Amino acid sequence: MQRRTMTATAIGLALGLAALPAMAQNEFGSKELIAAAEKEGALTYYTANFAETEQEVIKEFNKRFPKIKVSMVRAPGGQLITRIKTEAAAGKLGADVVNHSDRGLMLELADLFQDYAPPNAADYRPDALVSPKLWPGVTLGWAIAYNTALVKNAPKTWMDLTKPEYKNKMIGQVVAPSGGTTWTRSMFERQVLGEDYWKKQAELGIAMYPSGAPLSDALVRGEVTIAPLLYNIIYTKIVEGAPAEAIFAPEGVPIIPYADGITKTAKSPNAAKLFMNWRLSKEGQAFQIAKLGNITSLKDPPAFPKGWDPKVIKVWVPNFEQFEKLRAPWVEEWNKTYGYRQ
Amino acid sequence: MTATSVEALPAVNEVQRPPRRLAAPLWVAALLLLLTFLVIYPLLMLVFGALSDSNPIVDGFGAFKPSAKHFLEVLANPNVHLAFFNALAACGGGTILAVVIGLAFSWIVVRTNTPFKGFIAGASMIPLFVPPLVAGVAWGILGSPKTGLLNTALKWMNIDFRFDFYSMSGLIIVFGIYYAPYVYMFTASALKNMDPSLEEASEVAGASAFTTIFTITFPLIAPAILAGSLLSFVVMLGIYGVPAALGAPANINVLTTYIFKLTAWSPPLYNTAAAVAILLMAVTAILVWAQQRLLSGRSFATVAGKAFRPRSLNLGKWRWFTFGLALTYLFVVVVLPTLALIIAAFRKFLFIKDFDALFDMKQYSWVHFNSVFDNPLTMLSIWNTLKVGALTAVVGGALAFAIGYTVNRTNVAGRKSIDMLATLPIAIPGLVVGVAYLWAWIGLPGGLYGTLWILALAFVARFMPDTVKALSTSFMQIHKELEEAAWICGRGLLGTIRTIVLPLARPGVVASMTLLFVLAVRELGSSLFLYTSDTTVMAVLLLDYYEGGNVGKTAAFSLVQTLILAVLLGFTTWLSRDAAQGSARVG
Repeated sequence: MQRRTMTATAIGLALGLAALPAMAQNEFGSKELIAAAEKEGALTYYTANFAETEQEVIKEFNKRFPKIKVSMVRAPGGQLITRIKTEAAAGKLGADVVNHSDRGLMLELADLFQDYAPPNAADYRPDALVSPKLWPGVTLGWAIAYNTALVKNAPKTWMDLTKPEYKNKMIGQVVAPSGGTTWTRSMFERQVLGEDYWKKQAELGIAMYPSGAPLSDALVRGEVTIAPLLYNIIYTKIVEGAPAEAIFAPEGVPIIPYADGITKTAKSPNAAKLFMNWRLSKEGQAFQIAKLGNITSLKDPPAFPKGWDPKVIKVWVPNFEQFEKLRAPWVEEWNKTYGYRQ
Repeated sequence: MTATSVEALPAVNEVQRPPRRLAAPLWVAALLLLLTFLVIYPLLMLVFGALSDSNPIVDGFGAFKPSAKHFLEVLANPNVHLAFFNALAACGGGTILAVVIGLAFSWIVVRTNTPFKGFIAGASMIPLFVPPLVAGVAWGILGSPKTGLLNTALKWMNIDFRFDFYSMSGLIIVFGIYYAPYVYMFTASALKNMDPSLEEASEVAGASAFTTIFTITFPLIAPAILAGSLLSFVVMLGIYGVPAALGAPANINVLTTYIFKLTAWSPPLYNTAAAVAILLMAVTAILVWAQQRLLSGRSFATVAGKAFRPRSLNLGKWRWFTFGLALTYLFVVVVLPTLALIIAAFRKFLFIKDFDALFDMKQYSWVHFNSVFDNPLTMLSIWNTLKVGALTAVVGGALAFAIGYTVNRTNVAGRKSIDMLATLPIAIPGLVVGVAYLWAWIGLPGGLYGTLWILALAFVARFMPDTVKALSTSFMQIHKELEEAAWICGRGLLGTIRTIVLPLARPGVVASMTLLFVLAVRELGSSLFLYTSDTTVMAVLLLDYYEGGNVGKTAAFSLVQTLILAVLLGFTTWLSRDAAQGSARVG
């Protein structure tokens, strides 16, 4: 995997050097690639991320490349995978680019994707990749959010979320079995914060939610007052003026690198490549950090979210092997500890 | 009716057609073939899924290794037992409430001189147009124990009582009030078409109005009541939005929320979901069988060849009581949740500290509507939805008429099978049926996949039971003697249908097509698998907003959807009023 990445990087670098005068061009791809992509003029993008967020990404991409129309198909994670599998088997896969948070499921589908590496491949953390074909176009991170109108003594660390002062359903949690992102958080809690972290927190009485979005809404409404949330879910609400705030805790920020790829059957392979290149570029990542509340898997982040002190805050990426192996038994234990009926 | 009979007289040049010796089997075969494509084939895919670990398209049929593993797992899982009993309790309670409300309403509207009946009739259908997810969200905003607007108001009034809609009783109430229109639709058209002479006879014999209602009126429309309550029960069983929004915070699972979890998990467990779905179908099959046992061998024909005038009971002073009752219902079911949605749609954030904060006008703006209409997918989805809705209503309405007529009005061999096939899809939850259609139809040659037609066909199949049942009630009530009169006068079968059956069943046909349109506009589960970027529909976009945690935009978009449906309702009310005037003229 690494050799391939290296080769791709070398090619990327070589291409970059060849087109040196046009900096913007080599950052996203060669002149030829851009011309070919614009000739194709359109691509289809399958995503499991929030539709609105991804529309912002498309809008920003179109500011630089207005001639390429991006059509989006959005479905929840598991349903999107089923659809991709079935479409592919029937020879009718509509996607040029797929964006998905579950690296394990995407890895199983790796055969559907073509070899691809962005021009800045070498700038990415190797532990954020599960396959040389799949890249973290999106990276999300967990923060602790709270309702500023209702919490007097705001939590500052993950360990604070086990304090008795927050008992009686003040804290909301997305249930561990809901998907790869929450499983990452639960794994972090147990491996980093201690074997008994779940138990201590569960004893406070926790309000449980099936996914992050309704929980973020419940936090703003005041149904719960504190909640671990993916930063991007609460970030846009904070920017719009909701009575909420979010902090990154010093014990670590569990991050979820997505696994995005270009399908082998892409009808617009050049447009797809350009779109991926742009999303993975410094410009694309910086936009997602500043406007959407994402994190990045770039080794050297082009920007930091508000309140993120790179000297203090450590990023935590799950060991992929353990991520797969521990999932079923630990999630079952989590369900038992929190009294969640699956 | 006399005018109809005159119309039915043979035209001079009309030739008497030979009996339909060959036509009948051909017709039945054609219907069976169509139903096989629409129902059996996708259903086989589902059974295939439930009995194996494989995806029939991905792994091929060769990989099919039948095993009862999923069934046994499902049957042994205590969480499934709990979800099953929760579903029965919520839907059972909801149905009882729906029958009480729906029946009372149809009686008030059709049979009494309660003032402003037209308005009541129109407004009472509004809950039907509200997507379940939106209803759930609206009642969460109103009845959450912590932040619910109702509780905020109670606190302001210094009343200690608090509502808690995040509970089983909350589920029952919301189910009951939202699915009462199903019962209403069935019973109102039955009451409208009922010959009042039997009631008059009862009153002449000295029975009180009350006794007459319970011993004559309601027993006479028993098929409609049963059909309405069965349908509402089964529809509730398949609803995801309400228990998702109200049950989840209290950790109350029902079968649909359980199935949704199975399909949304990573990896998705469709095969297990299919097994749970088959369990649901078994329950429905038992219910349908029970209904047919109850109704078999009885005649419910109350629309006879004799002319009658629709009768309305003079309630005297009590009509203001029934009016008040209707207003209270409308307030609870229409005004309150709509108000909640309006507040959510216009308020920047739904954080409402106390009752006074509700009137802080600085918090209100068009921001959510602006961003909804900024989204290029909004207009595309509205346009697509209208097209799919129209296709579904026309194709589904025609098919349901053909099936309903064949099953109820003819003696052709094979009609029982047709009836059974048409009833099958009733309890398959949308999400599972969506994947069954995907599996079944994606491989077909031709360009069906990726068009609006595949959505429309899925909706036609999925809602066929609702439409056929709604129409059958109308058919059951048209006495055979009317058709026989036409035949005697020399009309052929098609001529009889055109001049007798269709005009008489017109309110039922219009109602079924409206129902179909509404259901198609709301349907999410099967859309999710069949839409593409060009054929996205409103329900999918609504889920996007909801899943994005955006109550404001969800509420704004659902108000837009409700408005579109309300315009449609106005149009069909006008159509059926036209029809009603037509039959009044005939009478």
